[in-house]
Amino acid sequence: MSELMNHVDFRAALEEAIKGKSANKAPFSIAWASGKLSRPHLARWAENHYHYVGPFADYLAYIYARMPERYTEAKDFLLANMYEEEIGGDRHTDLLIRFAESCGTTRERIVDPDNMSPTTRGLQSWCYSVAMREDPIVAVAGLVVGLESQVPSIYRKQTPTLRDKYKFTDEEVEFFDLHIVSDEIHGERGYQIVLEHANTVELQQRCLKICEIGAQMRLLYTTALYWDYVSKDIPIEELEAIERKAA
Amino acid sequence: MPTVVIHRGDKTFEGEVNENTNLVVKAGIRQFPYPNLRYGCGMGKCARCACRVLKGAEHLPEPNWKEKKQLGDERLNEGFRLICQIWLFHDIELDQPTMPLARVPADKTDGNPPATE
Repeated sequence: MSELMNHVDFRAALEEAIKGKSANKAPFSIAWASGKLSRPHLARWAENHYHYVGPFADYLAYIYARMPERYTEAKDFLLANMYEEEIGGDRHTDLLIRFAESCGTTRERIVDPDNMSPTTRGLQSWCYSVAMREDPIVAVAGLVVGLESQVPSIYRKQTPTLRDKYKFTDEEVEFFDLHIVSDEIHGERGYQIVLEHANTVELQQRCLKICEIGAQMRLLYTTALYWDYVSKDIPIEELEAIERKAA
Repeated sequence: MPTVVIHRGDKTFEGEVNENTNLVVKAGIRQFPYPNLRYGCGMGKCARCACRVLKGAEHLPEPNWKEKKQLGDERLNEGFRLICQIWLFHDIELDQPTMPLARVPADKTDGNPPATE
């Protein structure tokens, strides 16, 4: 039987649960970081990514509605997060579309749900399911801590590559820049909420489990992007060799 | 650890932060300098976080494209920076105007809405 963890141990356990299946190890991420992808590959990524992150405020809205009224700070955080995604500055999805257009695709193609892969549809459905059905604290752990908090480390690695290797302009890659700040805030506040309110052994264990599953879902999604769009152009052996060299 | 001093009107706030800290991120997670640093979008668009750097400017990287676009040459020359765009490694002393900066003329920006209190 597990014991109730203090905040320090619980946070370390959450970080470990996420790290185990980091999407940074997916072949698509390796190809991206090593400058191997073409603009059409990145366009397909954007067409899929839109349907995963586009409804993020919707996911949060379901959690917000089910978050107990007495958790005022948690509710305020969710509301602020939704606001920042949509109308705090530029709408985040508009910046994603700007990047996608610079890769050669169109707004019409991006917003068309027929252009996402079945795996992306699965990730989006999982996000909706977590937001609608899980205990709201567990849902924050899954979507904010498990998924959103991973973004700064991913984009911090990817953004210089987009400028230096793929030769995108600053404006074209703004989507990636902004997430380094906003997702750091969102991820950290997500941690604060989960640490404070997951106050039983059962809730802590469910939070850990959902972080693990969230990281698996993201890895699944990123891996599928490689097999669906890139594998015909870049053999897996080539990426494995890059990964071995980097290790 | 870098020491941060922030002046706002007749008040001064001081604290220490870890290296590689973004003050808007810190304020966003309700730690120093919260609630004493005004900020907005966190993406270099609204300029609500703009401060004049009184000390420590020599340790900062050159203003990035968002700061150039949002602040313009005049304010950059006066020492203003967008705090959401800066990660700190050294001591710094900042002065944040009690009211957000007025908008840079449209022909010098990207047409985003003006910063408001």
